[in-house]
Amino acid sequence: MSEFQERSIAQSWYNLRYVIYAIIGLMLALAHVIALNLISVSGITPDLLTILVVWIALREGQFTGIIAGFMCGFLFDIVSYDVIGTNALAKTFAGFTAGFFYKEKNNELTLGSLYFILAILASSFVHNLIYFFFYIRPTEMTFWSFFFRYGIASTLYTTVAALFPMLVKSRNVQN
Amino acid sequence: MRRLLEFLFRFKEYAALCGFTFISLIIMNFGNTTELGGYRSIVVGGIGWMQSAFSWIPNPIALKNENAALRELNLQLSDERAKIRQSIIENAKLRKMLEFKKASTIPLITADIVGKTTTEARNYATINRGEGDGVEVGMPVVTDAGLVGLVVGTSDDYSVVRLLINRESRITGKIHRSRIDGILIWDGEDALTMKNIPKSYDVQVGDEVLTSSYSNRYPSNIKIGTVMETRDDGTSLFRRILVKPAVNFITLEQVFVIKLLPNLERVLLERENKKVGKPMIPQVKDR
Repeated sequence: MSEFQERSIAQSWYNLRYVIYAIIGLMLALAHVIALNLISVSGITPDLLTILVVWIALREGQFTGIIAGFMCGFLFDIVSYDVIGTNALAKTFAGFTAGFFYKEKNNELTLGSLYFILAILASSFVHNLIYFFFYIRPTEMTFWSFFFRYGIASTLYTTVAALFPMLVKSRNVQN
Repeated sequence: MRRLLEFLFRFKEYAALCGFTFISLIIMNFGNTTELGGYRSIVVGGIGWMQSAFSWIPNPIALKNENAALRELNLQLSDERAKIRQSIIENAKLRKMLEFKKASTIPLITADIVGKTTTEARNYATINRGEGDGVEVGMPVVTDAGLVGLVVGTSDDYSVVRLLINRESRITGKIHRSRIDGILIWDGEDALTMKNIPKSYDVQVGDEVLTSSYSNRYPSNIKIGTVMETRDDGTSLFRRILVKPAVNFITLEQVFVIKLLPNLERVLLERENKKVGKPMIPQVKDR
């Protein structure tokens, strides 16, 4: 295969990346609802969609991250019987937060480094803060007890889960 | 106009954030999980089918919890068996003496849980019975242990049940021993909470909590749980009652849907009174 053909195939894949993000998002949302109970610890599960949103934000930039956050959140709201809009809002802010970690020239390196984990930690924290604020209606319930019980634990579990894509990416970058 | 577009383009991230925040808040304002209609019915059916397809995968953590719960239940049952034998004899005698009418049986629909979302605050279960089996939105769901929740969405073959341990749950309950009524909610802890109960009211740890006859959603006298703790709200005159649910939601597998819907006449009357602002008991005001 000539260099030109290889380059054009790579270009086609590059152009299709948004479709690939969408398919991965849909699959993760369904996996979240159907099978994630299997790895829940005391009712806490990692937020795979937030990991995807941060990944997109670090790869494509803050603006795309915000759009991806809204889309993924809205999708999850639909499949999870949640109050529609809560995840959309929280993940929009997660994408926005992750955008501050975006490095245009080193985006591939960022994804395979601990910088990615730091971005996940910050974005997931902001995500859960907003999500639980709107979800539990603080006027009726104790926000902080709920947030410390579920929000912080979920943030940490999501961060641990993000180690897997980070390590895979790190290996690919090294190769 | 051009300057405005340039400004928006320059700060497109902030503009997008504001735009999506605005859209999300609007959707949140209009969205309601209890009004699952149209596309959500399709989602319930689709997700239910997929959860059913994956339900064969064993969950080691759930199995461990189930074993522990079954051992505990076994102990309780052997103890209760002896008591029940005595009670049956006594009950038969008393019924005969008081000429009690035989209690009417409410029709039940047996269902299996095919999917559960008991993570964080999203506590719903999917059952393998839907509109085709006579299940309708608003029907209560129980087990032999007690109240499980309420059907909030249906498709032809599946239904979504909102569990008691859900932010949206509001159950009118009563302390069985002292007949004190209150609203039970779930605020993220392992137990349900009955708030604003005056300190002077007689509530003790171990008291049974049942559904109240004030409730229009649930039939009365279904066990909700047992009082596990009473907490004083600081210097106020009230306290919070923590109620341990009778049902173990982790090991939940089979349930019964009660074929009972809220009394429409009562709902309309109460809604009308609320709208007009009339007192619920006018005689009290007249006095």
